[in-house]
Amino acid sequence: MISWLKQFSSRNGVGLSVYLLGTVTLWILVMIILPQLLMLDFSFRHNWHHMDPAKMGGPEDVYTLVNYHFLLYGSPNNPDPFNVVDVTVFFRTIIAAVFVTIFDLAICYPIAYYLAQVAKGARTRFMVLALIVPFWVNEILRAFAFRILFGEEGTLNAILLALGILNEPIDFIREDVALYAGLGYAYILLMIFPLYNAIESLDKNQIEAARDLGSSWLRIHRRVVIPFAKPGITSGCTMVFMLTAGALALPQIIGGPSSLWFTQIIYQWFNTGSNWPRGSAYAIVLLVVCIAFVFLVMRIFKVRIGEIGR
Amino acid sequence: MRAQTVQRLSMGFYVLLFFGYLFGPLIIMSATAFNSSSFPSVSPWDCVSGEWFKVLVKDDKLMTGLSNSLMIGAGVILAAVPIGLAGALVLSQLQRRARSIVYTITISPILVPGVVLGISTLIFWERIDRVVLGTEFFYDGFFLTIIGQSTFISAYTMLIFLARLQRFDTGLEEAALDLGATRVQVFRHILLPFLKPAIASAAVLAFLASFENYNTTVFTIVSESTLTTVLASKVRYGINPSISALAVIIIALTLLAALVHEQFKKHEARQKLKSEAIASGKEKSGSSPKGRPMRVPVMAMTTMAFVAMLGSVWMARAYDVDQCKVEVAHEKKKRSEGLTRQRIAEARARREQEKSLEEGSDALKANQAGRQYQNIFAPTNLGQQVDSGSGDDGASGAEAAVEANQAGRQYQNIFAPTNLGQQVDSASEND
Repeated sequence: MISWLKQFSSRNGVGLSVYLLGTVTLWILVMIILPQLLMLDFSFRHNWHHMDPAKMGGPEDVYTLVNYHFLLYGSPNNPDPFNVVDVTVFFRTIIAAVFVTIFDLAICYPIAYYLAQVAKGARTRFMVLALIVPFWVNEILRAFAFRILFGEEGTLNAILLALGILNEPIDFIREDVALYAGLGYAYILLMIFPLYNAIESLDKNQIEAARDLGSSWLRIHRRVVIPFAKPGITSGCTMVFMLTAGALALPQIIGGPSSLWFTQIIYQWFNTGSNWPRGSAYAIVLLVVCIAFVFLVMRIFKVRIGEIGR
Repeated sequence: MRAQTVQRLSMGFYVLLFFGYLFGPLIIMSATAFNSSSFPSVSPWDCVSGEWFKVLVKDDKLMTGLSNSLMIGAGVILAAVPIGLAGALVLSQLQRRARSIVYTITISPILVPGVVLGISTLIFWERIDRVVLGTEFFYDGFFLTIIGQSTFISAYTMLIFLARLQRFDTGLEEAALDLGATRVQVFRHILLPFLKPAIASAAVLAFLASFENYNTTVFTIVSESTLTTVLASKVRYGINPSISALAVIIIALTLLAALVHEQFKKHEARQKLKSEAIASGKEKSGSSPKGRPMRVPVMAMTTMAFVAMLGSVWMARAYDVDQCKVEVAHEKKKRSEGLTRQRIAEARARREQEKSLEEGSDALKANQAGRQYQNIFAPTNLGQQVDSGSGDDGASGAEAAVEANQAGRQYQNIFAPTNLGQQVDSASEND
């Protein structure tokens, strides 16, 4: 370690070495690792800070599982065998995130393939630009656009009514259609680019060889393109899944009034609930379960972590 | 061949559909900004108007949020670009094992939900304040937000620098060192100029990511506000088209930036081509092949600008928003008046109908009543009436008679000498 430091400083000079190592150490320790550890610590504590600040640091300020217990079983006078609201919301969030991920993969794969293998120079550049531009627009504004589109007096209802397909307007927001469409929209870019990078490096000759040997296009995709693009598919899916499960703005703005997203419950504990430890516990559970789920899926599809992000 | 054409056509259709999904919501939202209707919509189109832009500019909360967002964005650039640069430079000098560990740790904030980052930042600095310092020094919305956002935006900028560093020729560095340059000189005169484009794009990306962030900011902003938090609370509690007006401005700026960026790239490519041509001693005239691609968007942008100009000129000269509004209001009033009138007429008609129906039924009742009385007093029916009455009586009378009969039979039986033995028998049997 010390010899490495010496080598590093001789390569970069003392001043530069201090800047480089100091900055990176601060980033990793103060901004990434310590805050997460402290959040973990916080999640095992009582909420004395808001309930009774005098007890902080006192004999009653001990570690406890009460916050995790609450997530599973609710308050002591909860008549149900477990905390129905929070647990249901949690699983619904995870399942919805899985479906949004699959939806994104399904709609992005053809586009990524088209960009990477079919389209020629000029059109590719134009399409890439057209893909990026919508995502420079603020997330909240995008959600607002979906609200205009899907509201009960929104554009979609107006069109469907005018065409005579519907007799009465459908409240797409209450039905959560707007939410899923918005979530699918929000992370398209994060799905397309890993897919594009993976498919682009595939040698065109392989596809042509398969075609010459008589494969149908479905078979070409199943046996040649998709196995090759697996790392890209995995990293795209991982990112979309994590971000969808952790989304907050879209569920707040275009989520139906009766359906919550798990992050909204976390937000409530921090804001109106004034129970930071409990909010931290909920956030830890979300983080851990999401990561575990991603690893599980990667295990099933036999993708190693090292392959992601290359 | 045929199948291929079908395949190509369906692919084209799909691409169109996909980009429709991408742009449709934005286009509709932009359109609502120009509708004078106070609810953002396009379907009942009232008047073309620019009033929502005025409402937007006058919105103090939004403007405060905007200036806060700009300040935080600048702060994030100042933090995230140096951090990302340092991360990339350190990573490029690490051995394989250490490299993958550091890479995983520094990349992880991209995958961690923004909510978690915001919470952990908030808790960490609040703790430092309370436990270590005993003040509220760090518990400040601006500071916390810049730190919280930089945690993951630095990872973005690091990726940009890493991509650029991959193409760096270390021979340049060695040559400079051989020629007697110091480390600092190499860094300043070789590495930094090489990384300059990456620094620029990292700064732009950092600003954009900061500007649009919500999930982290909403926790770390504490009592301050940014554009996104103001927007979110506005959108959640009642909406009006001034938000669409803001979207129009942002979309226009974005398109402009994209265009400038493309032009810049085109220029760069042409320059490169030219220098290559000079180096190889060949003169090449005409536009470069890479210059062509952006013709379509450039044309689209020019057309759009032209249409916008024409539209504004037309609006300034021949079109009066207020008058249109008056007209629309008048029309609406007329329509609603017409509707009320129609409703009144309908109601009246219904009432009359009911009345006539009522009268009719009265008459019917009277008629029936009359018939009843008629029937009563009708001599031919009298007998029937009496008959039916007696019939009824007969029925009940018959029952009574049967009862009486049975009772009589019982008593009869008791005193009937032939039955006495039976009775006794049965009694004795009972015993």
